[in-house]
Amino acid sequence: MSAAIAGSGGALAKVLQRPAQGLARCSHQQYLRLRAQRPAHARGLTAGTRALQKKYTEDHEWIDTSNPESAAIGISSYAAKALGDVVYVELPTIGTSVSKGDAIGAVESVKSASDIMTPVSGEILEVNSVLEDTPGTINKSPEGEGWLARIKVENVSELEGLMDEGAYKAFTEEVAEK
Amino acid sequence: MIVWKRACRSARPSTRPLSSRRCLSQRTLDGLERPVQSYISTSRDPYLNLSIEHFLLQKSAPESTILFLYINRPSIILGRNQNPWLEVNLALLNASGHDELETEPPGLGIVDLVRRRSGGGTVFHDEGNVNWTVICPSKDFTRDKHAEMVVRALRTCSVDRARVNVRHDIVLDQGEHALCTDPEDTHSTPYQLAEADAIRPLKVSGSAYKLTRQRALHHGTCLLSSPNLNIIPDYLHSPAKPYMTARGVESVSSPVGNILLTNERFIAAVQEQFAKLYGAVDDAKDVGDEWREHSPVCKGYDELKVTDLPTTI
Repeated sequence: MSAAIAGSGGALAKVLQRPAQGLARCSHQQYLRLRAQRPAHARGLTAGTRALQKKYTEDHEWIDTSNPESAAIGISSYAAKALGDVVYVELPTIGTSVSKGDAIGAVESVKSASDIMTPVSGEILEVNSVLEDTPGTINKSPEGEGWLARIKVENVSELEGLMDEGAYKAFTEEVAEK
Repeated sequence: MIVWKRACRSARPSTRPLSSRRCLSQRTLDGLERPVQSYISTSRDPYLNLSIEHFLLQKSAPESTILFLYINRPSIILGRNQNPWLEVNLALLNASGHDELETEPPGLGIVDLVRRRSGGGTVFHDEGNVNWTVICPSKDFTRDKHAEMVVRALRTCSVDRARVNVRHDIVLDQGEHALCTDPEDTHSTPYQLAEADAIRPLKVSGSAYKLTRQRALHHGTCLLSSPNLNIIPDYLHSPAKPYMTARGVESVSSPVGNILLTNERFIAAVQEQFAKLYGAVDDAKDVGDEWREHSPVCKGYDELKVTDLPTTI
């Protein structure tokens, strides 16, 4: 989480990361001024200090499980690195109902159109339109600013079968060895 | 105001009643479960050939490996995420079908415009170009594996200038025989020149890929004896490009050339190398117009049309 904040928060991030005594020195006016300097779209996932609780699939997608009513999904850093430079992102249509494992979009890199699967069933609520103009955001911040879409999780029990960060790391090490 | 009519052939919906349409035989459908499969198309319809290819990707057994070879009538094949305004001379494409332009050399007549499902750039297909596709399980996939197979096929036909380049395409080196290279190495030839050299290798095959959860599709062209090399650049150059800002993946242009083999010789060589790589395989099965009536193929057929062109300016 701190990496995501450091990547996009700039001066605000430094203030937030200071111990309590440091925060007390930041006046309310200063806080508002610093926050206004951040572009609106970059506040998407990293506004405030709410922790992202990510779970992962074997297809290298992640989902933020902290708010199943509007859960962000994306591809993992491992996948983004393996894909190479992303030159185009196909995003799902807002309002579409999807089932777990359905292809909801695709990324293009190295002349390859690679399907992205949804980790859970539900309805697509929002898509990250930043990726339409700067698809390389996926490479820069695949698990932060490069989120793909937000989904309303239909069946919260589907989240239980996914891997936490530690299990996913072990899984990727196993895959790399093969 | 110019009214543009689409000179492209459209996918015509079948007018035959559903009950009389032929479907694929059960034997054909069972064949999709075989571990190694080989198909060759009898059709020159690019919409049909790409639909069959997509059907094979989606419906074949997840652990199977498939070779599919096909030849298209003159057509321009856009990459999945490309913008036709940036890639194609749409005015030439439109005019060719109506013999309104006295081009020098003569235009090709009607040329189809098709959007494929894999990534990459725009290519031109005609009867002097053979397309090869290999579909395999994702876990067995690398971007070079099957380009290397095709290079080995070309080298068995004495095309020893062929190699796989860093973009996973196949090129013919243009230098004198000067280097000592391993003949088994499909990424180098004795004719290779330095990158900075003025004489660039000629591209004879471009690769593109479609990757799904369980399956990987790699397909490529192979320029064998196209009579249209001189006018392909006219079709693949958009006069509108300098005046537009648009989204879409851009093509990477390369000088191209013909290998000068017959289609039959190339096809036989690729089938032989495929069998060598994956073990004995049944004789290649013909696929063609009869697959058009099969519902999943029919559904995919219309999806390949390029529909985002204007009717007026």
